Amino acid sequence: MRPRKIPTANSGGQEGRLKRMRQIVTGLIRYERVEPAFAQADEARQYAERLIYLAIKNGDQHRETMDMADFWLLEKDLVHKLFKVLVPRYQNSRTCFTDLHKLAIQYPGSGFPRAVLELRGNPWPPIVPKQRETRYLLSNILLAGARKDYHNSKHKVIERQQLLQEEILVSGQESGKKSQPLHSASASQSSSSSSVDSGMSDIDQDHMLEDGSSVDGSSFSDSNSSGSAEKNSSEFNR
Amino acid sequence: MATTIQNVQCLLRSSMSRRFQKFCSRAYSTRKLTNAEVRQKRINLYDAEKERQLAQLTRVEKIEVQHKGVPEECTLIMNKDLSTPFNCAMHIHELLMTRSALALVNGEPWDMHRPLERDCELQFLHFQDEDSRVLNNAFWRTCSFILGHVLETAFKDEYYVELCSFPPPNVSSGSFVYDAALNIGDWNLSQTELNCLSRIGYRLSFADLRFQRLQVPVSVANQMFADNRFKTQQISAIAAKSKSGSEVTVYRAGDHIDLSSGPLIGSTAQIGRYSVCAVHDIESPTFGKLQRVQGLALPTQLAMHSWTYDSILRPRAAKLNAGPLPELRKPQHTQKEIPAH
Repeated sequence: MRPRKIPTANSGGQEGRLKRMRQIVTGLIRYERVEPAFAQADEARQYAERLIYLAIKNGDQHRETMDMADFWLLEKDLVHKLFKVLVPRYQNSRTCFTDLHKLAIQYPGSGFPRAVLELRGNPWPPIVPKQRETRYLLSNILLAGARKDYHNSKHKVIERQQLLQEEILVSGQESGKKSQPLHSASASQSSSSSSVDSGMSDIDQDHMLEDGSSVDGSSFSDSNSSGSAEKNSSEFNR
Repeated sequence: MATTIQNVQCLLRSSMSRRFQKFCSRAYSTRKLTNAEVRQKRINLYDAEKERQLAQLTRVEKIEVQHKGVPEECTLIMNKDLSTPFNCAMHIHELLMTRSALALVNGEPWDMHRPLERDCELQFLHFQDEDSRVLNNAFWRTCSFILGHVLETAFKDEYYVELCSFPPPNVSSGSFVYDAALNIGDWNLSQTELNCLSRIGYRLSFADLRFQRLQVPVSVANQMFADNRFKTQQISAIAAKSKSGSEVTVYRAGDHIDLSSGPLIGSTAQIGRYSVCAVHDIESPTFGKLQRVQGLALPTQLAMHSWTYDSILRPRAAKLNAGPLPELRKPQHTQKEIPAH
């Protein structure tokens, strides 16, 4: 069998790729929903996002933005749409302006995954059907209550541990000051926290101090003991 | 051997003091109250009252009921004070008959088997609605009601169970509650015994008992609950809160009758899982020492994995429910409904 060249998605090298990107971005601004190959859609998405972002940020009086729009939009009437329609639409948007949905691979077919790239707030019917609200199902209310109870109990345990650790820390620091007054603050902190943290042996601690700087070692041991507890508790507060 | 026993008995009988004999005869003559008798009495009173109320309906009038929702919006001509939302559902679709647990009549929660009173707009609720909180509360209330049935029927005649009341439904607390005086002494119910109680409640779902609502005058209610020292005290306070000021709402499912403000769900077939989880001793300020019986249930319509149910929800339902303790409220004091979700 003779060797054959595998056909690729685009031809024409870097230039061809850029041309394809511009086509997709132009199509997206024109039709608000396009259906290219997934890889191309994924790549073109960032350029479309960036273009809209710049248009919102700089407005139509900005020369560089205008050049950018001129480059990406192959059909020039879309420049007006960009500034007159899309900028007002996304003016107060707190999130991205486009959506990307993967499509099922068609068989038999090319085997390339395809995707739908769309502008948010487009006039087409939604791709993802409206999800039913399941928060108020009796089973979910029961489970939400159980979850809340669990987190509250966890939070209490962590608070108790924190209090215990603080007590030990205070007593440890006092004893440390008495016994080793010449140690630096960070070193004393790390030693005291290592006394709290039972999971970490003294050898490890020494090893770390030798390897990296003492600050790193202390910060690591801190995050192991009290730091993680604080982080967890703040998560539960949220 | 047998002869010796007979001899001993003869001896005992002859040596029995006259006083002791008198005591024995008195003890046998005063019959103890049993739950079965009391329940039969209630049913008789209920039937008589229902018959009386039906006899007052001499002329059948028609009302126009507008149904909103799936499968189609339509207008039905029904009988005033006779037709229920369930009857409307029978005309529309079988699905509505089986899954609807509560109706909304002009936006107001309405039992499935409560007759419609005037021209109205009708909607049906089921457990998979987007916002089923009203129905969830009705379900939780129904489960407490059924728990009353379980407690009254589960024990032998020697234990006279007196039901007291149940707090407003709060689903997120994890358990429904019935406060009652079980009068079982020091008997701590084991897990097996609790499972037996659960099974009584669970079996009701196969019986497909409908929850029927009836408004009875205070005098009849007092007769019905004359043998229950807690309910008799509550009836006047409940009646004072009602619209007419002298009526009490009672519900009946099968042969169980209890006071409840309602609404309850349509049928026991809509209760899928039912577990009695724990019995706790509580001290009520007005009613004294009581037992707080707690349970957990799920509607037939909602599926849940047994792992989630048995290892997360049931242990949680066994913890003491922090719902308000039963106490005698003054008539002017309005009962606060705990927002449930």
